[in-house]
Amino acid sequence: MVTFIVRRLIATVFLLIVVSMITFAIFFLIPRLAGQTPYQLATQYVGRNPTRSAVLQIETKLGLNEPIYVQYGRFLRGLVFGEHYNAGTSTTYCPPPCFGYSFKTQQPVWPQMVSDMPVTASLAAGGAILWLIGGVTIGVISALRRGTLFDRFSMGLALAGVSLPIFFTGLISLELFSYKWPIFPNVTYVSLTTNPLLWARNLVLPWITLAFLYAALYARLTRAGMLETMGEDYIRTARAKGLPERTVIVRHGLRAALTPIITIFGMDLGALLGGAVLTETTFSLHGLGLFTILAIQNQDLPEILGVTMLAAFFIVIANLAVDVLYAVVDPRVRK
Amino acid sequence: MKRRGFTGLAAIGAVATFALAACGGGGSSSGGGGGTSSAAFNAAVTGVVNPSNHKGGTISFGLSSTPDSTDPGNTYYAFMWNFTRLYTMPLMTYKSCPGKCGLQVVPDLATAPGVVSNNGLTWTYHIKPNVKFEDGTTVTSQDVKYAIERTFDRTLFPLGPSYYPLLLGGNASTYPGPFKDRSKNLMGLTAIATPNATTVVFHLAKPFADFNYVAAIPQSAPVPPNKDTGANYQLHPISTGPYKFQSYQLNKQLTLVPNTFWNPATDPNAKQLASKITVTMNMNANDIDNRLLAGDLSVDMAGSGVQAAARAKILSSPSLKAQADDPVSGFLWFAYLNTVVKPMNNVYCRRAIEYAANKVNQQTAYGGPFAGGAIASTVAPPNVIGYKKFDLYEALTKPQGDVAKAKAELKLCGQPNGFTTGIAYRSDRPKEVAAATALQQALSQVGIKTTLHGYPAGTYYANFAGVPKYVHQHDLGILFGGWAPDWPDGYGFFDFISAGNTIGAAGNTNIEELNDPVVNNDLNKFASVTNASVRNSYTSKIDMQIMKDAGILPEVYAKSLLYRSPKLTNVYVQPYYGMYNYAVLGTK
Repeated sequence: MVTFIVRRLIATVFLLIVVSMITFAIFFLIPRLAGQTPYQLATQYVGRNPTRSAVLQIETKLGLNEPIYVQYGRFLRGLVFGEHYNAGTSTTYCPPPCFGYSFKTQQPVWPQMVSDMPVTASLAAGGAILWLIGGVTIGVISALRRGTLFDRFSMGLALAGVSLPIFFTGLISLELFSYKWPIFPNVTYVSLTTNPLLWARNLVLPWITLAFLYAALYARLTRAGMLETMGEDYIRTARAKGLPERTVIVRHGLRAALTPIITIFGMDLGALLGGAVLTETTFSLHGLGLFTILAIQNQDLPEILGVTMLAAFFIVIANLAVDVLYAVVDPRVRK
Repeated sequence: MKRRGFTGLAAIGAVATFALAACGGGGSSSGGGGGTSSAAFNAAVTGVVNPSNHKGGTISFGLSSTPDSTDPGNTYYAFMWNFTRLYTMPLMTYKSCPGKCGLQVVPDLATAPGVVSNNGLTWTYHIKPNVKFEDGTTVTSQDVKYAIERTFDRTLFPLGPSYYPLLLGGNASTYPGPFKDRSKNLMGLTAIATPNATTVVFHLAKPFADFNYVAAIPQSAPVPPNKDTGANYQLHPISTGPYKFQSYQLNKQLTLVPNTFWNPATDPNAKQLASKITVTMNMNANDIDNRLLAGDLSVDMAGSGVQAAARAKILSSPSLKAQADDPVSGFLWFAYLNTVVKPMNNVYCRRAIEYAANKVNQQTAYGGPFAGGAIASTVAPPNVIGYKKFDLYEALTKPQGDVAKAKAELKLCGQPNGFTTGIAYRSDRPKEVAAATALQQALSQVGIKTTLHGYPAGTYYANFAGVPKYVHQHDLGILFGGWAPDWPDGYGFFDFISAGNTIGAAGNTNIEELNDPVVNNDLNKFASVTNASVRNSYTSKIDMQIMKDAGILPEVYAKSLLYRSPKLTNVYVQPYYGMYNYAVLGTK
């Protein structure tokens, strides 16, 4: 198992390098291939009606006039060894992993992403717990009570959850529970360590909104998996052996049905940790999703590169965790 | 700006007394300005709503984006120029009062408007001797000089305006800023002298009569050299205004608290009423509106108006509408009619477009009369000093266009059956896309066939509309754009977009490529006249001439529907910013 994990971690490093190269090419190389000159690129990072001298200074400072491989090399060097930055009155050191300095704010990218991570992690973790518990429970009950009113109602609700976009359900929930009946007024992120109760209260609506979408999907998946599993021969055997129904359902039925759920859960959680763009935007939460939006709006290349690599890292790590969990849940994988 | 020289601008006399002779109302030195108004639609456009000196409470600003920078030396956003007045005192500022009174530039840190030498090359300001930074140290003229010097380092401060490098003489064209300057005491900009602790003298390369306006840009707010942290100064600028930074999480949350060393007697255009000011950045724009309406938020900091959903709510509810204002923002949406691309080089062809355009559809495209703006018949919006209303092409009397007159102009142009040209616009701006489409439809009524060319907003001027060679090669006769000046007089408005010597090969701002000697001459004379009323009479003359040349097709004087929180006190629209004056707000 240890060898397996080490091998996957090494592969992760190579994968991240490939991701960085692709991202770098998209945002640094393609504009050049499309005919944009370094001067034109630099004009995006100066104010209105700049002097030529100002644009040239920025072009040089950001290294836009250098060959792409030099720019990429500098990025990699910063990532591994850190980077020094001249802030005018002093030189500051950005320790590894240094994703460079924002073209717009002139602040190091990594600390900004780190400060946004707790918001996204809080959102993703709470939402994930809700949708996992809610989705799987509803899915199991629906499967066991197939064709009943509950089954039809919950699957209809699930269909709505999958169909409605987050910015719609989010705005509706805000309109109802924040503005009209201010049960959750002023939804703003408060850190867990500052005030745990306020942290939870302010995240209830985003959690529910996020969970509504994902729980729907999980409920349908679980239901389908359970229906298939509960029709298997070994379930009949278990019942014939006189095992209690709860044991049959949970230990034999649900366990097998969970395997695809774990796969998709790992992917979803990994992707969410890289930024729940729509939820964060709707609820004005300053997480990695909002950071991503701002980076793209500003064409802030170091920030775009940083958040892309971080998102890729989370997805890769989540996949690794899924592979390990497979072995725990499904005995066949251990063999 | 100014790729051109500033020839012939004999800047004489105190230019601070501009066209607006008298400030209205009581002219309260505490910023009261015009009369007071009770809550009603547009009440804060002409008067002060909820005048009060009540102290305490928190004013909460919400912002759907981020500031370009909170460093006064590195910002160009209008709402930031408004907001920085809470923590800075530049040499000059705009008088805090509603209505046209608020267009006056008045001393802030300076004791009086700049005194200009007879040759127009030297501007002298005396600063108030008892203004202190937030740490209690006294502001000196060296702090003002240093503040301007640091903006010369464009690698650290690339976002602010470029007036000082362009206007100042001495070594201004090569000065690298204090961080790279090897001169002793980092005071190497020779164009600014500080003969004593309260005097600062600017030596210009050429006369420039509007220099008081330049001095009103936040870049002249003093910065203590020993507290400057360069690129990190934005995280905590050292305050001279009524408030100071308590905490700032970059682009997330800013908290200001009263600056105990601020003296209201030295800063009559600002108030220190609230006990705390907070700014939450990067909020969802609809969330801002809803929180404003729910009373959870005090001000939408961007000052660009509510979104469509809130607009519908406000306009359909008399009680909410009474809490709203719809001021002219000072921004003009328009289309450049290129004077070089054939057959648009013929003025009659351009005039045909002026007549044929359906202004009602244009207005609708930009968001209608409340969110879009009022139909424009002039280049200068009404809140430019010296503005005079006229209607050369019946934009107001026949807003849906005059097909007969357009066809008559086409005949004079030698194109009786119309012609073909291109329309350029920013494809990622839905309102501009709608405006371009509407214009295309209107022009087709008179036989003018147009092809639409959409470009990304981020590179629209740098790569396309601002590059004459590209414009000519692609037959772009009509190019959409918008404009707001850096200061509210005619020179500030027209020079960039219509002076012949601003036409450049790249980054061109005179996109219609108008090079009319009458306009050029009037612009030169504009700044050389000392008498304020004569000087500002050039505004309407230039405006009329540009319209005769049909170099610009005005569309709408931009307006924004602002929601005025009933909890706020001293609320009024500062006309220069086209938004509420943030420097004087209080809360009940």
